[in-house]
Amino acid sequence: MVKVVLKEVSKYFGKVRAVDNLNLEIKDGEFVALLGPSGCGKTTTLLMIAGIYKPTKGRIYFDNEDITDLPPKDRNIGMVFQSYALYPHMTVYNNIAFPLKLKKTPKHVIHEKVVKVARLLRIDNLLDRKPSQLSGGQQQRVALARALVKEPDVLLLDEPLSNLDAKLRIYMRAELKRLQKELKVTTIYVTHDQVEAMSMADRIAVMNQGKLQQYAEPNILYDKPANIFVAGFIGNPPMNFIEGSIMEVNGEYYFDSGVFKLKIHRSLGEMISSKTEEAILGFRPEHIKLVTTKAPNAIKGIVYVVEPLGRDMVVNIKVNDTIIKALASPEIQLTPGQQIYIILDERKIHFFNKSTGEAIV
Amino acid sequence: MRITRAVMKKIIPWLFLTPVIIFIILSWVAPVALTLYLGFTDLSIKNFLAFIRDFFTPEVHITLENFEKIFFGGDPYLPEVLKITIIYVVSVLAINAFYSLILSISIAYFLKHDYLSLFLRVSWLLPRITPGVIYALMWNWFIDPRYGMLNTLLSLAGIPKEMLPQSWLLDKPYSQILMIMVNGYIGASFGMIVYTAAIKSIPPDLINAALVDGANEFQVARHIIIPLLKWPIFFVVAWQTLSLLASYEQILLIWGAGGGGGYAGIARAAGVMVWALYSYSKAFSEYQYGYASAISVVLVVVGIALILIYFKLFGFSRLMAPSKVEV
Amino acid sequence: MLSLPRYRIESRKTKALLRSIIKYLIVIVVAVIPLIPVWIMYLWLIMQSFSPKVNLGIIPLGFTLNNWRFLWSPLKMGLKTYPNIWPITINTLLIALGVSGIVVLISTLGGYALSRMEFAGRTGMMKFIIALHAFPSVILLIALFIILNKLGLYGKGYVTLLGITLVKAGLEIPMASWIIKGFFDAIPWDVEWAALVDGCTRWRLWRSIVLPLVLPGIGAISIFSFLSGWSEFLLVFTYVKDEAYYTLPVLIYHMIGEYKMVDWGLLAALGLFFTIPTIIFFSTSQKLLLRIYVGGVKG
Repeated sequence: MVKVVLKEVSKYFGKVRAVDNLNLEIKDGEFVALLGPSGCGKTTTLLMIAGIYKPTKGRIYFDNEDITDLPPKDRNIGMVFQSYALYPHMTVYNNIAFPLKLKKTPKHVIHEKVVKVARLLRIDNLLDRKPSQLSGGQQQRVALARALVKEPDVLLLDEPLSNLDAKLRIYMRAELKRLQKELKVTTIYVTHDQVEAMSMADRIAVMNQGKLQQYAEPNILYDKPANIFVAGFIGNPPMNFIEGSIMEVNGEYYFDSGVFKLKIHRSLGEMISSKTEEAILGFRPEHIKLVTTKAPNAIKGIVYVVEPLGRDMVVNIKVNDTIIKALASPEIQLTPGQQIYIILDERKIHFFNKSTGEAIV
Repeated sequence: MRITRAVMKKIIPWLFLTPVIIFIILSWVAPVALTLYLGFTDLSIKNFLAFIRDFFTPEVHITLENFEKIFFGGDPYLPEVLKITIIYVVSVLAINAFYSLILSISIAYFLKHDYLSLFLRVSWLLPRITPGVIYALMWNWFIDPRYGMLNTLLSLAGIPKEMLPQSWLLDKPYSQILMIMVNGYIGASFGMIVYTAAIKSIPPDLINAALVDGANEFQVARHIIIPLLKWPIFFVVAWQTLSLLASYEQILLIWGAGGGGGYAGIARAAGVMVWALYSYSKAFSEYQYGYASAISVVLVVVGIALILIYFKLFGFSRLMAPSKVEV
Repeated sequence: MLSLPRYRIESRKTKALLRSIIKYLIVIVVAVIPLIPVWIMYLWLIMQSFSPKVNLGIIPLGFTLNNWRFLWSPLKMGLKTYPNIWPITINTLLIALGVSGIVVLISTLGGYALSRMEFAGRTGMMKFIIALHAFPSVILLIALFIILNKLGLYGKGYVTLLGITLVKAGLEIPMASWIIKGFFDAIPWDVEWAALVDGCTRWRLWRSIVLPLVLPGIGAISIFSFLSGWSEFLLVFTYVKDEAYYTLPVLIYHMIGEYKMVDWGLLAALGLFFTIPTIIFFSTSQKLLLRIYVGGVKG
C-alpha cells in the first residue's frame, strides 16, 4: 500500500481547465472520496492518478516516487469504472484473470487468486458467464474483483455504485467500506453523491470547477465548511443562505438582512465586521428550532409548504421573498399560511464573506 | 370508402417502389437471368444478329458444351486463369482485410494526433476516390521505366538494378505484383473505413480498463481491439471476397490499353488475366457470347451462394451495420 | 526516509520509451511509407500538367500552359487528332447529370417507402436490396450488352448514351435507395405525426415536411451518383464505338494506349481536367461522402 501525493497538478483540455493546481495527499491505507458536481474535474483527477491522462502541469508521487511519467501498467493500480468496462468477449474468469495474465503469472497461481477473490466477492458461481449475462450488481462485483485480484497499491473507484438500484447501492456502500478496511488498500473514490462520500470515506476532497474546495474528514466538512460551495454541497436538505450586512448599534452587533435583524454575539460580530461588511448567513435545516409563539431574537415567517418524510419533515418557510427550509419533527401540527418563528442556535450558524465565499466562522 | 382506403394503403407503397423495381429489373434481374440463359447457348458473332432479332431463333442452340469446356478441360488456358484469380483474390484480400487492420489500429489507435491521423486517412482514401482511369493513368506513368518513379524509388531503397524489371506491365511476376498493388491500394481503404469506425465505437473505458489492468498498447490492440473487431473483420473478408472474385475494371484499365490485343490487351501475356476479365475478353474481343456468359455464370452462382451464406452467417442486422462493435 | 524503489521508474521509463518508438515505427512502416507512391503520383499529376518537364517526377522545370492547349485547340497527341474536348465533356456531363437525376428521383421515392411504409414484403425487399448491393454488377456486362441491343439502344449515338445512362442509374439505385432510407429512418416519427395531426395529406407531408429534412441525404446521393456517372468507364468503353460519343474517361483511356507517342504533360493536364468535379465535390462535402463510403462501398 502506498501514499499518494498530487503536487500542483493541473490538466487543461485546450482552454478548459479541467483540474487547476490541485494539491492532495492520500495517506497509506486511507479511503478518500473525491466529491463534486459533474464536470468538476474529479474523474479527470482519477484518470491522472491512473496514468491514463498526463497532467499538463505538476507531479504525482506514489510513496515519494515520482510516477508522473509512468504508463498505467507500471503503476500497479486497480480501477473500477462507472460503466464497469468489463471485456465483453471474455468470460468472468478471464476478465478477472486478465491483469494477472498480463503479468505473466503462472496458470495455477492465476487460478488460485481468481477463485479467492471471486469467493471474497461472492461471484464464484458466475465464473463461466459472459458479462452480458450478468445483472448490474454482479457486473459491479466482477469489475471490483478484476481491480482487486492483482493486489493493487491503489484502488481507484469511479462512481462504482451509480448504476445500481437504490437498495443495492446502500448495501454495497457498507460492503465496500468493510472490504477496504479489511484489505487496507489506499482507495480513491469518485462520486457526486455526498451521502456516499460521507458514509464511506475517511476524508473527502470536495472539488468544484477544477479546484479543490476543501479536504477534510466528513464531520469537519459538515461542521466547518471552508466556503459557501462546500456548505451548500454537503448536507441534505442543503444549508439555508441569507445575504445581509453586519451592523453595530450601541455596542450590540446585528446581522441585518433587510427583512429581519438577528442579534449576534459581540465577539462574533467584531470578527465578521473586521473582515467584511457584506456577509452571508448560513444555517442548516436541522439546526433550526421552530416555535409558534413570538420569542426573542427569532425570525418571523409564514409556513409555505410542508413535506413529510416519515421520520421527520421539511418545512418550507417564507421569510419575505426567501424560502427557508427547516427540518422538524412531525409532531408539530403546521398548516400553510400559519405564522411561525425561527430560532437559530448561535453555535451552529455560519457566516461567509459575500465577495469571496470564504467562511468567516 | 373504407375499402378503397384500405386498398390504397396497400397500393401506395408499391407506387413508390415501382420505378425502383423497374430499374432493378432492367439493370439487375434481367441481366442475371439472361446471363444464366446465355451460358447454355452457343451464341457468338455468327448467330448474334439473328438472336437480337428473335430471342428464340433456331440458329441459337441450347447446349451444355460451354460448361463441359469449363469443367472438363476443354479450355487449356482456364486452369491458368483460375490460378491467377486465386493468387489475385487471396493476396488482395489479405491487404484489404488484414493489412488494413494493422493500418486502422496504427491510424486510429496508435496515432493520438487528430490532424495527422485525418491526413493519413484521407491519403489512404485517395486511390478509392480517384476515377479509375486517372488512377490507371498515374500508375502507367509511375511504372514507366523511363519517366516513372517506381524503379527509381526501389533503387533508392537499395534494391539492386538487376532485380528490377524492364517492364512492370509485362514481366511476370512483376506484372502480377503490380496487379496486387494497384488493387490493394484501393481495397485497403475499404477495410480501413470499416475498422476505423469500429475502433472509434469501442467505449474508451474499455481501453482504459485494459491499460490500468497492466496492458501496454500492443496488448490492448491484441487482447481488446482485435477481438472486438471480430464481426467487422468477418464482414470485410466476406464482402471483399465476392467483389474481388468479380472485379477486373482496374486490370482492364491498366493492361487493356496498351499493346493492342483487343479489349483484354496484354493481360494474357502479362499473366494478369483473372476470371471475370477472361469472360469479358471472350465476349468482347472474341465474340463468343455464349461461352463468355458460361464463365460469368460460374461467378453469378458463386455470388448468389456467397450472399445466401452471408445472410445466414451474419444475420440481416450485422450486414447493414458492419462497423458496429458489439459490446 | 529512504523507501525502496518499488516502481523502478528509470528502467520502466526506458521501456515505455522503447515501446513508443516501436509503436511509431509501426505507424511509419504500415501507414506512411506505403503512401509515398500515392503522394508522388498525385504530385506528379499536378506538376506535370503545368510544366514542360518534371525532374524526378515531382520537381517541375518551368511553368507552361501548353499542356492545357486542348481547352482551346484540337486535341492532338503525336500524329493522331482526337475529337475536340468540349463535345466529349458534354457527353460525360450528360451521362453524369442523367444518372444523378434518375437516381435521386427514384431512390428518394423508394427509400421513403422502405423507411416509412408498412407493406407485405418490406423485409424481403430490403434483403433483396442488400443482396444486390453485395452482388458484383460488373459481371453482367455481356447480358446488358444484349439487352441494350434488343431495346435498340446500341450503336446509335446519343441513344446509346441514354441507354447507358439508364443502365448505370439502375445499377446505382439499390445502394442509393438504401442510403436515403437511412436518412429517412433518422427523422423522428413525432415530426410526421405532428404534421398528420395538423391535417397534412401524405403527399403534402412528403413534400413539405420530410423532403427538407432529408435534403442532406439527397445532396449526398446526387453528388455520389453524379461522380459515379462522370467516371463511368466500362459501360461506355464497351458499348460506344464511335469516337464522337466517347466520354472523358474513355478518351483518356484510348490516349494512354497510344504508347509510341505518349505525351505525359498532355495526359496529366487532361487527367486533372477530368478530375476537377471529383476534387470540388470531395473538398466541399467530404463528410457527407465519407458517410456514404462507410455505408456502401464496392471494393
